[in-house]
Amino acid sequence: MKFSNPAVQKIWRFSTSFQLGIPVLVAITLLIMWGTIVESQYDAYAAQRTVYSSWMMYVTMGLLVYNLAAVMIDRLPWKKRHTPFLLVHIGIISMILGGWVTQKYGLDGSMYLPIGGKNNFVTVANTDLVVYATFDGDNYTKFYEKEVDFFKTPPTEEKPVIVYLGKDQIRITKYLKYARVSKKIIATTDERAGDMIKIQLQNPNVKQVETLIQPSKNKSAEVNLGPLKIYFAHVVKDKGRKDYSKNEIYLNVDEKNNINYSFYKISESLPFKTGRIQVGDVIATGWMGLELRLLDFQEKVKEITEAIEAPRPTPLTTAAIYLDFKGEKQWALINDVTKFFTNNVAYIISYQNRRIDLGFPVHLIEFQMTQYEGTQKAKTYASRVSVENKQLHIPTESLIEMNEPMKSSGYTFYQSSFNQDEKTGEPIASVLSVNKDPGRWIKYLGSLILSLGIIWFFIQSRKRKTAQ
Amino acid sequence: MRLKNILLVCHLFFLTLFTVLPSEAVISNHKIGEAIRYLPVQDGGRVKPFDTFAKEVLEVVYGKAKYKTENGKNAPAYLVVLTWILAPESWVDRPLFEVNHLDVKTKLNLSSEQKHFSSKDIFESDKFQNLMQELADKVQSKEKLTPYFQALQRLQNQMLYFRELTAGRLLKVMPDVKNPVNSSWIAVADLGEVEQKYFIQISQSVAIYLGALSDQANIESAGKNLDNAVIAFVNHIQTQSGAAYDSTKKVSAEVFYNDAHLFRWTYVFYILTALVILFIWIRNLQSGMNLAWGLVLTGFILHTSGFLFRVYLAERPPVTNMFETVVWMSWGVLLFSMILEKIYKFKSILLAGTLVGFIAMVIADNAPAVLDPSLQPLEAVLRSNYWLIVHVMTITISYSAFALAFGLGDIGLIYWAIDSEKYKDHIQKMTTAVYRSIQIGVAFLTPGIILGGIWADYSWGRFWGWDPKETWALIALLGYIIVLHMRLTNWIGNLGMLISGVLTFNLVVMAWYGVNYILGAGLHSYGFGAGGVEYVAIFVVLHLLLVAYVVTIDRMSKTQTK
Repeated sequence: MKFSNPAVQKIWRFSTSFQLGIPVLVAITLLIMWGTIVESQYDAYAAQRTVYSSWMMYVTMGLLVYNLAAVMIDRLPWKKRHTPFLLVHIGIISMILGGWVTQKYGLDGSMYLPIGGKNNFVTVANTDLVVYATFDGDNYTKFYEKEVDFFKTPPTEEKPVIVYLGKDQIRITKYLKYARVSKKIIATTDERAGDMIKIQLQNPNVKQVETLIQPSKNKSAEVNLGPLKIYFAHVVKDKGRKDYSKNEIYLNVDEKNNINYSFYKISESLPFKTGRIQVGDVIATGWMGLELRLLDFQEKVKEITEAIEAPRPTPLTTAAIYLDFKGEKQWALINDVTKFFTNNVAYIISYQNRRIDLGFPVHLIEFQMTQYEGTQKAKTYASRVSVENKQLHIPTESLIEMNEPMKSSGYTFYQSSFNQDEKTGEPIASVLSVNKDPGRWIKYLGSLILSLGIIWFFIQSRKRKTAQ
Repeated sequence: MRLKNILLVCHLFFLTLFTVLPSEAVISNHKIGEAIRYLPVQDGGRVKPFDTFAKEVLEVVYGKAKYKTENGKNAPAYLVVLTWILAPESWVDRPLFEVNHLDVKTKLNLSSEQKHFSSKDIFESDKFQNLMQELADKVQSKEKLTPYFQALQRLQNQMLYFRELTAGRLLKVMPDVKNPVNSSWIAVADLGEVEQKYFIQISQSVAIYLGALSDQANIESAGKNLDNAVIAFVNHIQTQSGAAYDSTKKVSAEVFYNDAHLFRWTYVFYILTALVILFIWIRNLQSGMNLAWGLVLTGFILHTSGFLFRVYLAERPPVTNMFETVVWMSWGVLLFSMILEKIYKFKSILLAGTLVGFIAMVIADNAPAVLDPSLQPLEAVLRSNYWLIVHVMTITISYSAFALAFGLGDIGLIYWAIDSEKYKDHIQKMTTAVYRSIQIGVAFLTPGIILGGIWADYSWGRFWGWDPKETWALIALLGYIIVLHMRLTNWIGNLGMLISGVLTFNLVVMAWYGVNYILGAGLHSYGFGAGGVEYVAIFVVLHLLLVAYVVTIDRMSKTQTK
């Protein structure tokens, strides 16, 4: 191709040259090298945000596509010997384009399914700041919702993010990408606060200390110890037993601040042992020689979160923001809810991953796991789920296994991992990754074209003498 | 009457079963005193012969598959491990535990020159307890383990293996038919009364056999006694367990594989080939290539059969850890070098191929701590997947072509360093071969990466996710594509091509080894390991020096001619 204007011709010459192409390739190589280092130092999300979806990446990829396209146009009119060269270039352009379509219009999230439970939300990486308000304590209305990107533009003391709520405002003054979190229990005068007990279960083989805190007044707390469950502030007389398939211990505080216990065996509706316990007391439970000791009891407590910045992420770190409501300051973790009260309104604020409604729920009927003979190493795991088809309204059952996804209403569900109970190690929930990829066919087509081109090149260049 | 009939039928049944199937099928063709090596043991998610089990345990604890005794002899693993079970107290003072990490040695007050230490040196000090606490804290924090903590973890494993083995809890010898949860086998310590008796018989025979070995008297009869005790035990278990014991059929094949050392013979033949070609080349002989071809084909057949043996034993293509990919990669190097040699007849291609193959196989065969040769079961995510096998094999075989280009580049650079004018013809051939090898590599790596994308899409739900392993494969591909394009535009000449063949291979080293052993991040974590970083660094630096040296010589000779 030739242009009469010498300046345009010069630019065109450059656009089609290796003087552009090779530096672009080198730049991409260096960029993604940097990306892998970021991932090894921090995590995949950090690498994604700082490198792979940064403007530098877009610019270099754009230049590459431009160069590849310009070189092709420059060769017009094409001859037969150009075929492999054209195929390879078109293939690469399609794959980059497909990747862009996926990033722009695709969905890639995860879905948490408790065993026996259901969910119709997919959690994605985007984060929102959401505030709900209630006047009567029961009906909450969404008051505020905004997408925020604290990873790139974190709020600071100098530049806080402020949520205006009529006369009131919530200020976010700090953000920690990687926070190490510790919980502390403190006494409060708040009338809505619940109580706390600390117990110990012990036999010659086991020693377990548990702290149970009511989330608020009149709400109960529980802990699952496998064959045994312990409940605090759940009165069986009024509300019935919680789980007949387990041995259960119920601990309750009466009006005079006495602590009463009752022990239930599997499937029995009457307790086999009841009584009163004081701090320091030890009671034989009658199960496996276990003794129950009451270590502590406190009225009206609340749990506060403390966050310390960690230099690098670990499986124990999480993102955290620092909230300030009328001088009441506290840390909130990502996907946690924090309550603030005024005299007549209660606000709930949450910094959370966006949850996208699929429009239909997925039920987890059963979670199956097999292990390698004689080991704890997982061999296979699978989720049996049921989904209601959008058009037909008939629930269909399918088995999602490792490498055997399920397709439904345009989404693909993959078995990603599972959650275990911290104490018993039993699986309690399945984690699926949910995905919708409108760019998929473009990428596959590009792959096919590219592969064809490479094979063609290989056969053709056997006859040419480039090597010499 | 009826009872009698039933008994008779049972008797006949077991009689036919014995003659057709069991003990003879499990243990046959053994040498005297070695039947114990064939004893089926459940360990690490599969059933293996005691021979393999002992080797793997000794490798964990001692770092080698053979124990060097005080008088300098090599004791085989199965005898060493048997003595642990029989007489653990005799090992208290013997140097058995390999400790390499300097910091760990200093903290335990161990001599920095020694490699092996006794359990008394290590485990009886308070300092060991402190270190274990330190490790536990680190594990609790869920942070990545640094080499120091990895060394501590190994120490912990060494202690656990030794302790559990001497307590009889690690050696699982009998299927648990009554309680087939998780198909776990019963360990020696938990055997029933009858089985215990059979096992004690083995123990006593082992003691007598070891005594006979050290006295050099009555070895044969003691050995036969031991064999009979083992066979009696196996027969008994067979009658008790029936079908659950069927998975023991492969133990004979595995002991044969252990004894044959196919990969060792492979590299012997490769180096012989290389030497023959070098001789032909230096003497400028017209004949002799037939001999080289004979040698290399023998080596290649051994290589292939070793690979097939692992396929048979593990019931999967063995390309899932570093050791296995090294074996597969060097197989590819030989394949490509033979094909290219057949086409071009440069001799240098086969020389480079056999040299690279030799070095790779020597490393694979002699570094069990870094390149674990044991057959491990697959992680859940890798199971029953056709695309996994295809994409890993395609990508790794492209590394073969790049390794060949690297070997050729090395030889070419050495020629250049000696005299670039005199060996102009040789160097030209080398350059052509480097270019061709890189082309082959790119032709395999590109589809390999795409297949990896298809697999990731199928299994994880995304075609490309910038995972470090896939990203580094792409980086290597980009590197070679840049080289090919620079050659196309004549930005690089013959020397540049040779240098590229050598330097660009560093990207492959990073993609292949570095991501798993240095970066240690991402979704391909099932292949992660530790160790060998210093050797890889030396390898990289040496080649940088070679390149720098050749470039300097080239500059100097050019300024002289001016």
